[in-house]
Amino acid sequence: MISFQGVSKVYGKGSVALSDVTVDIEKGDFIFVVGPSGAGKSTFIKLLFREILPTNGRLVINGRDIGKLTLAEVPYLRRNLGIVFQDYRLLPNKTVYDNIAFAMEVIEASRREIQRRVNHVLNLVNLSSKTDTYPNQLSGGEQQRVAIARAIVNNPQVVIADEPTGNLDPDTSWEIMKIFERINKGGTTIVMATHDKPVVDAMKKRVIAIEQGCIVRDQPKGAYGYED
Amino acid sequence: MSGISLKGRTAMKIRTVKYFIREAISSLRHNGLMSFASVSTVALSLLILGLFLVMVLNLNNIASTLESKVEITVYLQDNLGDYDKRQIGTKITKLSGVTEVNFVTKEDALKRFKDRLGEQQGLLNALGDTNPLPDAFEVKVDKPDNVKTLANMISEIKGVENAKFGQEIIEQLFALTRMIRIAGLLLIVFLALAALFIISNTIRITVFARRKEIGIMKYVGATDWFIRWPFLLEGMILGFSGALISILLLLKIYAIFTQQVYESLAFLPLLPQVVVTNISIFLLVVGAAIGALGSTISLRRFMKV
Repeated sequence: MISFQGVSKVYGKGSVALSDVTVDIEKGDFIFVVGPSGAGKSTFIKLLFREILPTNGRLVINGRDIGKLTLAEVPYLRRNLGIVFQDYRLLPNKTVYDNIAFAMEVIEASRREIQRRVNHVLNLVNLSSKTDTYPNQLSGGEQQRVAIARAIVNNPQVVIADEPTGNLDPDTSWEIMKIFERINKGGTTIVMATHDKPVVDAMKKRVIAIEQGCIVRDQPKGAYGYED
Repeated sequence: MSGISLKGRTAMKIRTVKYFIREAISSLRHNGLMSFASVSTVALSLLILGLFLVMVLNLNNIASTLESKVEITVYLQDNLGDYDKRQIGTKITKLSGVTEVNFVTKEDALKRFKDRLGEQQGLLNALGDTNPLPDAFEVKVDKPDNVKTLANMISEIKGVENAKFGQEIIEQLFALTRMIRIAGLLLIVFLALAALFIISNTIRITVFARRKEIGIMKYVGATDWFIRWPFLLEGMILGFSGALISILLLLKIYAIFTQQVYESLAFLPLLPQVVVTNISIFLLVVGAAIGALGSTISLRRFMKV
């Protein structure tokens, strides 16, 4: 469903972030994208939600060439993607419930639909008791669970996560991974950039390793493979 | 597997419109001081624009009223015989464009002059029995445009001292209107820019304060227009409120002004109060447009997330 076809990304000053990357991601895959800092993981992730465009090559998501989307089409692409960031990116002046509902409000869902879905995903991330709490009253792990709930509330086909456990301790990271695994079991594709070696090693998922802009390894049930 | 749909619903839901209005108003409140400054600037700018419009409209009205009353006064040389005077009268009457010719003897002229002086007619005692005023014809013409040509033709008739008409005052009036128009235009452009600047600054502060929110909206797939509308509304509300205030002030000021004029200069043909009502819609549109434009300027720079 996601296909990188000879994708390169060169930034302004001629620095090559990705060069000639070709890889296919199937529906329902759970993929770790690993590699040293500055190897091109973030670029890989950002291309997926069209924060940036490929310099060369084609990136096809569900039959659509992302490079050929008009600006007006980009929002509708993103409605099929859920995005989770390392720094959660919650709105501090909105409650947990409103933070999640916000993602549905901006795509003009009905109030009843919003209520149904928000309660459902809150349950999925075990935060039903924190509905009316504000983000600053939550722990980092809880905040990330809210962010995950927001990412999946619109039922995306793919969840993209950029270092989602980067700010969390190992135990909390595990909780977060369990949630991602649960989401993946429901048929949602997951693409996650991470540095979290124990997690990657233990979960035995497909691992794509990127170094200096190239894919150096693509293992079906891989391990992290770096000693850091 | 279902493909990615890239089409949106075109119809805007009422709930969404309510959301836009709510967002706009809440950010106006958050931004109280800047909102107040914006509204005041717009109000002041539009008030001055309104005053100029009213003034120019009135001057135009006065000028055209005077113009339609224009007649040529033909002064005759002294020592003409009755026959010569009649001859001149006939010649003038025959000119095309002349509608009415009245003969005013020098005695009539003096009498009118005395009447005009009223209580101060004692001044004329100094003249003794002499009458310095000439005999004259008062000539009315069909079209104001013809006045100048006719006056020239008449002044060339033998026995005519000169032919005068109110051209000068009218031309001066028009020159004044033109000057006021240009000065007003410059001032208005300047003030409109100031209003635009302050509104776009207000919106920029709002957008900046909410850039995180805007970023998240983009990531979860809000369309650009969905993000833009609250800010556009905010700008338009600022401009519209400013316009409303300027209209209220303008109504009050014009009412006081006309009152004053009627008391001291009753003959001035001022336009009625309705003139303000007529330009109100124009001011409201200009206000809202300045607001929308101000938002657009800020948004263009900040929307790239």
